[in-house]
Amino acid sequence: MASAADAPVQGQSDGERSTGMSGAAAALTQDRQRLELAALSAPAVIFTAAMIAFPVVYTVWLGFQSFSSTGRQSFVGLDNYSKLVADREFWHGLWVTFALYVLSLVLQVVLGVWLALALFHAKRLPGIVRSLFISPFMMPPVVAGMMWLVILDPSLGAANYILQFLGLPPSEWLASPTWVIPTVALIDTWQWTPFVALIVLGGLQSLPPSVYEAAQIDGASAFKTFHRITLPLLLPTIVTAAILRSVDLLRFFDIIYITTQGGPGNASNTLNIYGFRVGFEFFNIGYASALMLTLTAIVFGAVLAFNRLRNAVAW
Amino acid sequence: MMARMFAACAALTLVAVGTATPSARAADFDWKKFQGKTVTFLVNNNPVAQALLTYKSDFEKLTGMTLKVDSYQEQQMRQRLVTVMNARSDEVDVFMTLPSREGEQFAAAGWYADLSAMSKDQAAKDYDLAGLSQALRKAGTFNGKLTSMPMNIEGPILYYRTDIFKKCGIEAPATIKDLEAAAQKIKSCDSAVTPFVSRGLKPAVAYTFSNVLHNVGGSYIVDGKSNLCSPKGKEALESYSRLLRDFGPPGVVNYSFQQISALYRSGRAAMSFESSNELRTVMEGGARLKDTGLAPFPAGEAGQVPTAIGWGMAVSAHSKQPDAGWYFVQWATSPEIQKRMALQGIAPPRPAVANDPEYRKWIEEEPVRKQWQAALDVLATKGSSEVGYPIVANPESREFIGQAVQDLILKQKPIDQACADADKALDALIAQK
Amino acid sequence: MTEAPTVDIWIRRLNLLQLIVAGVIILAPTVWMVLSSLKPSFEVTAYPPTLLFSPTLENYVQLTETTPFLDYAINSLIVTIGSTGLGLLFGIPAAFAVSWTRISWPAILTLAARMAPGTLFLLPWYVMFRQVGMIGSYSALILSHAVITLPIIIWILLPSFDAIPRSIFEAAQVDGCSVTRILWRIALPLVASGIAVAAILAFVFSWNYFLFALVLSNGDSKTLIAAAFNFIGEGSTQWGALMAAATLIALPPLILAMLVQRWLVSGLTLGAVKG
Repeated sequence: MASAADAPVQGQSDGERSTGMSGAAAALTQDRQRLELAALSAPAVIFTAAMIAFPVVYTVWLGFQSFSSTGRQSFVGLDNYSKLVADREFWHGLWVTFALYVLSLVLQVVLGVWLALALFHAKRLPGIVRSLFISPFMMPPVVAGMMWLVILDPSLGAANYILQFLGLPPSEWLASPTWVIPTVALIDTWQWTPFVALIVLGGLQSLPPSVYEAAQIDGASAFKTFHRITLPLLLPTIVTAAILRSVDLLRFFDIIYITTQGGPGNASNTLNIYGFRVGFEFFNIGYASALMLTLTAIVFGAVLAFNRLRNAVAW
Repeated sequence: MMARMFAACAALTLVAVGTATPSARAADFDWKKFQGKTVTFLVNNNPVAQALLTYKSDFEKLTGMTLKVDSYQEQQMRQRLVTVMNARSDEVDVFMTLPSREGEQFAAAGWYADLSAMSKDQAAKDYDLAGLSQALRKAGTFNGKLTSMPMNIEGPILYYRTDIFKKCGIEAPATIKDLEAAAQKIKSCDSAVTPFVSRGLKPAVAYTFSNVLHNVGGSYIVDGKSNLCSPKGKEALESYSRLLRDFGPPGVVNYSFQQISALYRSGRAAMSFESSNELRTVMEGGARLKDTGLAPFPAGEAGQVPTAIGWGMAVSAHSKQPDAGWYFVQWATSPEIQKRMALQGIAPPRPAVANDPEYRKWIEEEPVRKQWQAALDVLATKGSSEVGYPIVANPESREFIGQAVQDLILKQKPIDQACADADKALDALIAQK
Repeated sequence: MTEAPTVDIWIRRLNLLQLIVAGVIILAPTVWMVLSSLKPSFEVTAYPPTLLFSPTLENYVQLTETTPFLDYAINSLIVTIGSTGLGLLFGIPAAFAVSWTRISWPAILTLAARMAPGTLFLLPWYVMFRQVGMIGSYSALILSHAVITLPIIIWILLPSFDAIPRSIFEAAQVDGCSVTRILWRIALPLVASGIAVAAILAFVFSWNYFLFALVLSNGDSKTLIAAAFNFIGEGSTQWGALMAAATLIALPPLILAMLVQRWLVSGLTLGAVKG
């Protein structure tokens, strides 16, 4: 830390000297600097490119192949994609993906902001308790899925027992075509709301305290302070959290893979689950590749859209 | 309790290890032929494999080979296998497979090595190829090529509560009609218990449903067309879905073996139609040991045609050492090893082992075991290995069978619509080449 | 201002109340899971759920007896620490450069790997790593998991670097400090808490990821999470052992989070800064 603390002082005193530097020398430094910066990001860029270039190219190639049920492989051009457009299961999967996405995202963002505010104002809460609040997203999704599978079993699970204890009608949870999407969304919300809250909490803590003091002096109500001051300032943080969740939610996989495998019927058959099943359960790698690439394009589009939104709300 | 139930086997096993080392001493056969090689075995971590792998070191001692075990749960194993095979990798030498499910497809894709020749020329003298269940060997034969050797025999059987039956004054059902009547009676006689439970999960339905379809005399394909909308097909769809809808637990459309066994074991189901492999799980804790009866699924118009399948061991077509792999396969499916596995509760695919006095003695120890083996005897003699459509796209065909059953359980479609939709999708699958 | 304190107290009490409600909902399932792991296996699915039972460690004993649990845990640790380390090694300089230049495509590129479904990578990576004989090695898993950790680290560090006043860098620069030197000597200490958070989250995400290990590892390098499925097979479903395994698998990330909770709650300022 010493060097960092010293740095500004040092810099200030030397600042004047550099203004006298010749133009050529400055340009040279500029070039060197650019090179250095490029070298700094090069490992990450090269590594990522090396890891994803082949899979993407290979998958694109597979997407043009047909692995007929006899195992023979042949080039079929865009057949897999025209099959996709005509495939009702694909459109249904798109709808399921979208419904699950919107429901989960709204729940997680709203509850996450609420939880962050509550934690932010409970300043005396011991740190260990705080970390318990954010514990669910530390749990492996696979484990969370298995845990909820047992809890939500309509006949044997604790959830219905509690409902009946409270005098409420039991639910079929994951086994009901109507309720499966809300139930999966609830499981995901249980797990990821704390993650959103954590990010929002970070944002709250980095807001300048002067903002609140000014509002307090004005005698603004707590609600007004939140609505007029905190929320707008917090918006970029919230959008960032939404982007991070969107990337995962649009590719919803783990919890459904563990709990319903896309059922009952095809009620929770998200695109990612559908693609997986086509490839690894029905062994149609070509069509599965087309499905997965399409899903990737959808996620990519969503991220771009969100990025624009973030730039729009930045302050 | 499990320990007590299988205590006898432990003692017997010890004896077996001491005495029953495969004793092939044919002049031209040498167990040590591939000494020093390493065979990689991709395993589905089910009781069959677990029982087999308890003798891993015996195999290594006998042959001087190293057995590398890579074990996963069924679905994850298949996921890995598909990747390995699509990459044409020689990483896996031997793998477990369900011929009734993926056999046609894997055979067509050329993933299985042909065992026909090796099983004759390179077999130990006491291997007794013909002693393996003929039906199961046939189920593993595609286009004249023997692709896998059976490891066990299994199939869905009816577990029922004798105490509840007694209380409600019901006899063990002899026909599907009896079964429904019994369920009806239990419903009114003991409302706390689920009368009947079986598989409702879409991809899992075919396993139990096929038994019902065959019992009523139906068949999946007639004249190259899907046949679910035939009177027999509809009858089977209706009976099966009615049993689950009217007498099954809430949320049965998500039920597979885990939930079914848990429900029955905890005493909350009067009848459970589930795999014979689940006996151990069901008896865990001991609560069901004394009040359970076992039988094949009751007869329909065509009598009893139970579903009888087995896990098989196949040598990968991409293996660089298929003959070394075959040595492991023949050791694992030899009469000696299968007898030892039988004493651990794995139903043997060899009639001779099933009649072995030592095994019989073990069977006689518990009434539950006796009934279990009796049911399996019926499976072995009358069974059909057809689970879902006998076509290359069998795994996918199971989806549509499951969908039709779920449509009916959830009352989403009338029967004519449900079977017609399924037939249409299945006709497309059948037509696929 | 005179009546403010009483209002304040009420608000605080209300806040505490809602936190308690939230806390119960958040923690109840986990507590239930841990309790279940202490029940005899067949009792886990008993109905009504047993609340009073004599706790037993038999599930844990069974776990260690039937599976090489410790080996898997060590595999998981090696892969997780390796991929987190690799992610930090590549991610810190990259985040710094992106923050400095405001050229964001490198950061977006690393995120792109997270936009594709994991299943898309399975077959290609298998083919790729097979070619160089790396299937079943730790390196293959570390490399594949670094694709997960790298974007997390970069995106968490970006705002931290952004938050450092530009004047500090400029001053150091005129002093003749090279960019690399500025990063190691000046910027790095300033973002220490950001790095802690990035490392923890990278650890958690890598530890929890199961899909790649299913294909890229074999018996030798299988991770704990990939082995967790082994408890729900046909004829061998052991709910008790499963719950015990689940508890043990979830433990390392939880312990880590508690150890470093101070940084965790203060350091995650994603996108909070003006941008």
